[in-house]
Amino acid sequence: MLSAQERAQITQVWDLIAGHEAQFGAELLLRLFTVYPSTKGYFPHLSACQDATQLLSHGQRMLAAVGAAVQHMDDLRAALSPLADLHALVLRVDPANFPLLIQCFQVVLASHLQDEFTVEMQAAWDKFLTGVAVVLTEKYR
Amino acid sequence: MSNFTAEDKAAITSLWAKVNVEDAGGETLGRLLVVYPWTQRFFDSFGSLSSPSAIMGNPKVKAHGVKVLTSLGEAIKNLDDLKGTFGQLSELHCDKLHVDPENFRLLGNVLVCVLARNFGKEFTPQVQAVFQKVVAGVATAMAHKYH
Repeated sequence: MLSAQERAQITQVWDLIAGHEAQFGAELLLRLFTVYPSTKGYFPHLSACQDATQLLSHGQRMLAAVGAAVQHMDDLRAALSPLADLHALVLRVDPANFPLLIQCFQVVLASHLQDEFTVEMQAAWDKFLTGVAVVLTEKYR
Repeated sequence: MSNFTAEDKAAITSLWAKVNVEDAGGETLGRLLVVYPWTQRFFDSFGSLSSPSAIMGNPKVKAHGVKVLTSLGEAIKNLDDLKGTFGQLSELHCDKLHVDPENFRLLGNVLVCVLARNFGKEFTPQVQAVFQKVVAGVATAMAHKYH
C-alpha cells in the first residue's frame, strides 16, 4: 500500500518529530480541542483544565503510538492491535473524528516544518495516518 | 450559519493581508490534487498531472488556484454573507461543473495547511480555529445552491 518513496517520506518526517513527542502531541491536542471543541468530550480529564503537564503527558503517549506505527508501517494491524481493542471496546471514538485529528496533525507538521514540509510529505503522511485510523476503528463492529 | 465575531474578522483580515495569493493559490490547488488524487477528475483539460512536480509546476493549476483564492479573498470582505457571495459560484459548480461539495471541504483543509506552512508559529491554534471556520463557511456556501 505504501510505496518505497512514501515510506521514506514518512520516516524522514518522523526523524524530525522523534525526541519531541510530548511537545508535538500536546500541541496536537490543543489544536484539536480549540478547532473542534466537540472532541473535548473524549478527553474529559484533559480538556476541562487543559493543564500543560497533562497535555504533554497524553500528547507524548499518542505520538509514541504514532512512532510505533512508523516502525511497523508494514504491519500496522499487529502493531496497533492493543490500541485497536482499546478504541473499539473502551474509547469508542466515533470514526468521524479521526480526519479532524489528522487535519490538526498536518497543521502541526506544516507550522513546524514550513518550507521543509513538501507536498510529497503531506501526501505520504495523510495516507499513512488515514491507514492508522482505519486500523484503530476496524474492530468497532 | 457561522458567526464571526469582531475579533475573528480582525484576525482573519490581518493574516489574509499577508498572504501572497499568487503563490498560495497554486500551492493550495496543487496540494489538493497531489494529496487527494481523485480530485484530479475535474481537471482533465489541465494537461500534465502525472507527478507531484508536474502538478505543482502546472501553469493551469496555478492560474486556477489563484482564481479560487481571489474569490476567497472577496468572501473574506463579506464574512456575514457567504451564501450571498458564493450563490452564483455554487450554481455553477453544481449545474455545470458537477463538483462533489466534499471537494470544497478538502480544499479548505489544504488551504489551512498551506497557511500553517507559510506562517509557522504565528498560525496558533486560535488562528487555525478561525480559518477553519472560514473554510467551513465557504464550503457550506458553495454547497448551498446544490439541488
